[in-house]
Amino acid sequence: MTFRTPSPRNTAARAGAVHARRTFALAAALALCGARMSAQAPVTVADGHLTLSGQASISVGSNDEGYFNYSSYQYSLLRLLRLDGTADLRVNDHLSVLGDLQALASVDHGNWLLRPYALFARIRPWADRPVDIQAGLVPPVFGVFSRRAYGANDPLVGYPLAYQYLTSLRGNALPATVSDLLAMRGRGWLTRYPIGDTRPQAGLPVVDGLRYQSGVELHVGSLQPFEAAASWTSGALSAPSREGGNAGQQFSGRFALRPAPGLILGVSGSRGTFLSSSLRDSAAVSDVGDQRAIGFDAEYSRGHYLVRSEGVYSNSRIPLAVPATRLALAAFGIDVEGRYRITPRLYAAARVDRLQFNDVAGPDGPTSWEYPVTRLQVGGGYLVARHTLVKVEWQRNQRDVTASDVYGGGAYGSQAASASYNKANLFSAQLVVWF
Amino acid sequence: MLRLACVFALCAALSLAEAAGARAPAAATIRGRVNIPNPLSAALPRPGIADLGRDTNYQPAAPRRAVVYLETAPQPAFEEGVAGRATMKQEHETFVPHVLAIRAGTVVDFPNGDPFFHNVFSLSKPQPFDLGRYAKGRSKSVQFDEPGIVRVFCEIHSHMSAFILVFSHRFFAVTDDDGRYRIERVPAGTYTLTAWYEAVAQQSRPVTVPEQGGAVDVDFTLRDR
Repeated sequence: MTFRTPSPRNTAARAGAVHARRTFALAAALALCGARMSAQAPVTVADGHLTLSGQASISVGSNDEGYFNYSSYQYSLLRLLRLDGTADLRVNDHLSVLGDLQALASVDHGNWLLRPYALFARIRPWADRPVDIQAGLVPPVFGVFSRRAYGANDPLVGYPLAYQYLTSLRGNALPATVSDLLAMRGRGWLTRYPIGDTRPQAGLPVVDGLRYQSGVELHVGSLQPFEAAASWTSGALSAPSREGGNAGQQFSGRFALRPAPGLILGVSGSRGTFLSSSLRDSAAVSDVGDQRAIGFDAEYSRGHYLVRSEGVYSNSRIPLAVPATRLALAAFGIDVEGRYRITPRLYAAARVDRLQFNDVAGPDGPTSWEYPVTRLQVGGGYLVARHTLVKVEWQRNQRDVTASDVYGGGAYGSQAASASYNKANLFSAQLVVWF
Repeated sequence: MLRLACVFALCAALSLAEAAGARAPAAATIRGRVNIPNPLSAALPRPGIADLGRDTNYQPAAPRRAVVYLETAPQPAFEEGVAGRATMKQEHETFVPHVLAIRAGTVVDFPNGDPFFHNVFSLSKPQPFDLGRYAKGRSKSVQFDEPGIVRVFCEIHSHMSAFILVFSHRFFAVTDDDGRYRIERVPAGTYTLTAWYEAVAQQSRPVTVPEQGGAVDVDFTLRDR
């Protein structure tokens, strides 16, 4: 396995290599510190009212020329350094304030991103009943993966496609015609449209599994045979924040049953606004800019094995200029993953994943508005210490595309048609330390 | 004459037996109290920023018990007795008891008393194990053959932990709620007595058990290392 030189987009390749070495050194130091601390429980101060914990992870992997694992233009989940510091302030039995401050950096270049990942108040009206209200920058209610993507809860390095893969759909830019849309297929990491913000930017995933959303949510029954949650938050599943002028709101809910020991079955629904207010207001047609989604999730565990599956069907409606019409862009993602604990320290895991899109009326007839993608992940993890985990993964990605499917020409057209762009075998490793 | 000889023989035998009994030293009890001025706080869960609600099942309890034991023991102690069975339950997301002291060869049962899965495991060298996930009402067992300290965790609930101290002899005791301990039937001799608390504090003292037996009082005050 070899790691290629930093992406050709990084013109300062030497500076990037220096940064990569410094990042690795920092990560190694963190790992050593974390390993020494990892035997300790979270830090509690102020007579147990304040609990502090932290997590550091570094992922290194093959150069992803097909941009299968990018969560934005700059960040690949396979080449990422992530630091989280979390706090839980228990004011009393009815009120807590929780927060997570996160720092992200690419292994390839020195662009650090510092942001509050979570910051919310948790209110429990009745101390002895499992009813909670959370308000602020809150975890998403829809589905499951967004809430268990944190650190060691995900047995693999890469994410499910529905929660990470960048489609060509944008929240702040629109295609004028169907041809504009089809020309951006497979280029979700950097799309450009003639209406709205015309600068090249990354598209949206079906569900943004890397960001929380602002709003309020209600949760009932954490350990009962059932649990239910509902939320009123900003944006939409694919665009949970108010960036790009999205002043819309989202309603989401999930209901889950535990019919037998080890079995959890859940269904989710969501309706939100992913399109910026200015684009919605200027559209020639009404009733656009919303994303509606339904999902299911299932988990079964027993003994040393654990099996999960999650599916999402999403429908996003955009306006077209020529002709002035409404276009429904649907996506369906489904994944199945399994983990088996071989020894107390060692486990094996795998995930099969498919992301499919509906057809739109293209110049050559019905055409999928995005290239379907298939991903196979096989890997495992090793517990070096109680709170130190090393994961390794082989990932096979494929877009269903042939040269005749590619619209648009030029450099992007050639790239989009190339086999190396649309099929990728990627290796990655991740070190996670937490306390 | 023959009757008189039998009487003499009987008296001689009785005298010999009495003399033999008088030469065997009486066993003693080592007892005392372990004071822990700054006990550890109860382990709390990591901030649940990915949770939709607060966990209501967890009942944290600050660890208060210490273990007192002889570092070395008389040779026969390693050969006597039969290891039995012990229990470490999972209740309210805690291991009960938090500290268990057993002899090598003991089988420990881990019954699940919570209405959800636990996954008990250990990475400790003396006895690594992983019991997998099992539901309320079920129990799994592990036999501990190697002396040492075994740290026990739950793979699902990271705030759950416990200690199992495995000894190759029987001269150990876990303190009670008041910090008191008793180690019974210790043969006469000089030993090193150690008090241990949560792997953060430990203290050793020489102790001499007299030939005539009785009780030997040894108190400890344990502070963080």
